[in-house]
Amino acid sequence: MVDLLTEMWGFAFMRRAFVATTVLSASVAPVGAFLVLRRLSLAGEAMAHAITPGIVIGFVMAGLSVMSLLIGGLIAGVGVAVLTALLARKTILRSDASLASLYLIALAAGIFILSAAGSAVPLKSFLFGSILGIDDASMILVGGVATVTLVSFAVLLRPLIASTCDPVFFEAQARHPMLVEQGFMLLLVLNLLAAFKTLGTLMAVGLMILPATAARYWSSTITGQLILGFVFALASCWIGLTLSYVLPETPSGPAIVLVAGGFFLISLLFAPLGFGRRLRKRQTGQDLPALSTPNAPERRTR
Amino acid sequence: MATVLQIRHLSIGYPGLTLAARLSFDIDGGTTLAVLGANGSGKSTFVKMLLGLLPPLAGQFAWPAGRPREIGYLAQMTEFDRRFPIRVRDLAAMGAWRGFGLWSGLDRAGRGRVAAALDEAGVLPIADQPLHTLSGGQLQRALFARVIVQDAPLILLDEPFAAVDQTTESHLLSIIRRWRADGRAIVLVVHDLSSVLDHCTHALLLGGGVATHGPVESVLTPTRLVAQGYLSESQAAWMFRAGAANADPKVAHG
Repeated sequence: MVDLLTEMWGFAFMRRAFVATTVLSASVAPVGAFLVLRRLSLAGEAMAHAITPGIVIGFVMAGLSVMSLLIGGLIAGVGVAVLTALLARKTILRSDASLASLYLIALAAGIFILSAAGSAVPLKSFLFGSILGIDDASMILVGGVATVTLVSFAVLLRPLIASTCDPVFFEAQARHPMLVEQGFMLLLVLNLLAAFKTLGTLMAVGLMILPATAARYWSSTITGQLILGFVFALASCWIGLTLSYVLPETPSGPAIVLVAGGFFLISLLFAPLGFGRRLRKRQTGQDLPALSTPNAPERRTR
Repeated sequence: MATVLQIRHLSIGYPGLTLAARLSFDIDGGTTLAVLGANGSGKSTFVKMLLGLLPPLAGQFAWPAGRPREIGYLAQMTEFDRRFPIRVRDLAAMGAWRGFGLWSGLDRAGRGRVAAALDEAGVLPIADQPLHTLSGGQLQRALFARVIVQDAPLILLDEPFAAVDQTTESHLLSIIRRWRADGRAIVLVVHDLSSVLDHCTHALLLGGGVATHGPVESVLTPTRLVAQGYLSESQAAWMFRAGAANADPKVAHG
């Protein structure tokens, strides 16, 4: 085991991967926590697919540079987010259906362009990530995104809590309630781009959602949710990268996300807010308070 | 008491659908205004206009002492996320929204204010419990604590008694009485004719394309309630029958 770790640490690309994913974990943990709490888990997944054509067009035009990735991905991500909001507001479609339609078109277009351009980048590493792909520029991207995310969260944390818990109250109190939502979506796109090299476009959102859902089973406070989410994300990255190193044919994205899935399953089974609560209840015979009681009377006024 | 808000020639509704037109009255400190009407008559729309969430179709609001920095607001519970991982204390502290620094939490005085509000609403003993463990009544008390913390001259409550038991309702009504005695103005959307109206000084009845405002006794008459589509004739006859136990003593017979 020690030999394995020493050998792994001897490679510069592995050292980079470990450092990059450590920083990445700190950055994606708060974004993931609020994706889950705001009931946007699937929207996050859709957004990860939606940025694909931007990254591909950037790649085809300017090669796999960090700037092309960032600019292409940002344009595609922000474009899809704005169009989704526009369709949901101006047409009969709700936002989930608008987003689903747009991301499917975007994903298909991205893969189509990538294949048509006869790219030199293997599709597998594009979709699922590669530990070999993390160069100095990618490290700077991850570091920059993490800095922007953590500083933004320091400012946005309370508005995000209020707007997630009680959106109507928040809308009545805040001067520009939409700013919080838009700011959060921008952070989501930035973090998806930062996670792209290690996890690929299909797996990037996995490092956000699974550690956050696992943490939700353990914690009844925001602070606990954020800290545990980070710990699960970090552990998933380190163990996943090691797996990907030991089994060279496996891409790093699925390895990391599978480990995160393991944390989710363990939490589901044993955590106090998962099935662990029921197990304990059976052992002690105590009656535990309901997780949620029906509290939504029919809306009677307009 | 000083006038908090002057409403002039207000039309309630949405573009293409006017629910009530040319409404003019004052909302004074130390009064409680009950807003009544059938489903879709514009009760919540009126509240949202007061909050500035919806623009008036026509007319304007004038605030003699300036628009208050804080308007107390309790929405219907339908959009509230009870599984959100915060404690009762944190929910009440949201009322001190503007007292938070950019990087820091509430100061000692602010925390004291939150504790006093939790105590008045009867939820101080469960202040550190997560929201998902609360009953409907406990949650409504916690939300009232948040309105207390807001410390606003105008308080808007949208059907606050829809999902609470009688004990809780009576406790929350005592808080509303205290607010009124403090000189605050309270706007209370109510769904049915009940003893809650005993605690209201004025009523705004919406329905049938018109709005009637005035003292409770003069607005909530059987004739008017039927004319504005709030009650059918048989319902009015039953509710206002002589000696009816459920007829509200304050609602005029006529």
